Amino acid sequence: MNVKAENKVKVYLFYGDGCPHCADEKEFFKDLKEQYDDRVEFIYYEVWKNEENDKLMNLLKQKLDNNEKGVPFTIIGSNSFIGYNTNVHYQIEETIKALLEDDEKNIDVVSEILANKEIDIDQSKLKFEDGTFKIPLLGKIDARKVSLPLISIVIGLVDGFNPCAMWVLLFLLSILIGMQNKKRAFCLGITFLVASASVYLLFMFAWLGIAISMKDVAILRTLVAMVALIGAFINIKAFFTKSADGCTVTDAKKKQKVFEKIKKFTSEKSFILAIIGIITLAVSVNLIELACSAGLPLLFTQILSFNKLSGIEYALYIGLYILFFMLDDIIIFSIAMITMKLTGISNKYTKYSHLIGGIIMLLIGLLLIFKPSILMFNL
Amino acid sequence: MELIVISSVWCPSCLIMHPRYVELSQKYHLTLTNYDYDTDASIISKYHVGDILPVCIIVKDEEIERIIGEKSMKELNKIIESLM
Repeated sequence: MNVKAENKVKVYLFYGDGCPHCADEKEFFKDLKEQYDDRVEFIYYEVWKNEENDKLMNLLKQKLDNNEKGVPFTIIGSNSFIGYNTNVHYQIEETIKALLEDDEKNIDVVSEILANKEIDIDQSKLKFEDGTFKIPLLGKIDARKVSLPLISIVIGLVDGFNPCAMWVLLFLLSILIGMQNKKRAFCLGITFLVASASVYLLFMFAWLGIAISMKDVAILRTLVAMVALIGAFINIKAFFTKSADGCTVTDAKKKQKVFEKIKKFTSEKSFILAIIGIITLAVSVNLIELACSAGLPLLFTQILSFNKLSGIEYALYIGLYILFFMLDDIIIFSIAMITMKLTGISNKYTKYSHLIGGIIMLLIGLLLIFKPSILMFNL
Repeated sequence: MELIVISSVWCPSCLIMHPRYVELSQKYHLTLTNYDYDTDASIISKYHVGDILPVCIIVKDEEIERIIGEKSMKELNKIIESLM
């Protein structure tokens, strides 16, 4: 790593004695010290016990207009970070690298403020590459804003595209089509789709919760990366070993049981009981289905957890994912209800979804290990 | 020559192949019998169908060819013509 000017970067850390995140960050700074030795200097201020340091921290927070409460509070140049997690970890690393290579931006803003000189904060404020690019017609697109929805749609589509996994829906539809009471048939069908979507929704929120709560745990990230790489291997292998393009008849007995249940629920006299029956069926079948496709949803929620999003945004992206995850089911259902005929989706393309899914998982797995900051779209 | 097609309601590939086998049988004046993998399990047990559906068994006194999974119309025509 050739460093243009032999300049030095100062990292100020305001911490609380006994604060766990601060301790983690100090641990991280030890590694950085080894890596950069005298090119980076770390200056510590304890604020929980030392009144004066605490006042200084608040003055600096106010000057750098980063007034979030709490510690650890880190300042490098005029970039400041509150708290410490995987996002902050990578932002600090990249800020140090950037300031080492760009000495105009490397202004020791803290000592300037201490000597109460007026300083233009923005001049040396680093904007993480904003990644905007131009697309004809659509104009300026900010890669950060586009990538999350795009990823939700792509991974959702790939994860959901398994025509043979629709055997329950197709069987249910084959009966619904035969029913005289069209309105009732429609309600049962919609109930099945909505119940299945809710199972996925809950499942993905659970995964997201785990990913967020263990955000700073490096082991979780390597664990998820392993899942990604194993999933990639399985999917890519499936692409090459898929014999004929047809539906594999797995455990006929399980299917028989489900068919019996569907016949029972759809011929139920009382409408409410039929609805409840369909819901229990949808939940049980989809829980099994989820077990075998846990790879991609897990990865998707891991990427989501990297990005600082509000609750609603998380819900929106997961909703988008599930919409495209269930797109093939929705299409089949609507065609069946309109034309009263069952249409199948050729299974020829399933192996391509295995291939694409495999490649996506491989990419994410490698990124998770080597360059996770790429997966952090809107910091 | 006779076509025996084993498929099932819940299998998308079977839904795709069904009209193709109907067209094939009309074009070459072959009798076509359809069995359901689940409901006609006893009848079709003698054919020892593997785990991929649909399966089309071509019979001329006895089984001479077996088509497994999805095939395009072109491929189906080629197979039938080679057996004529």
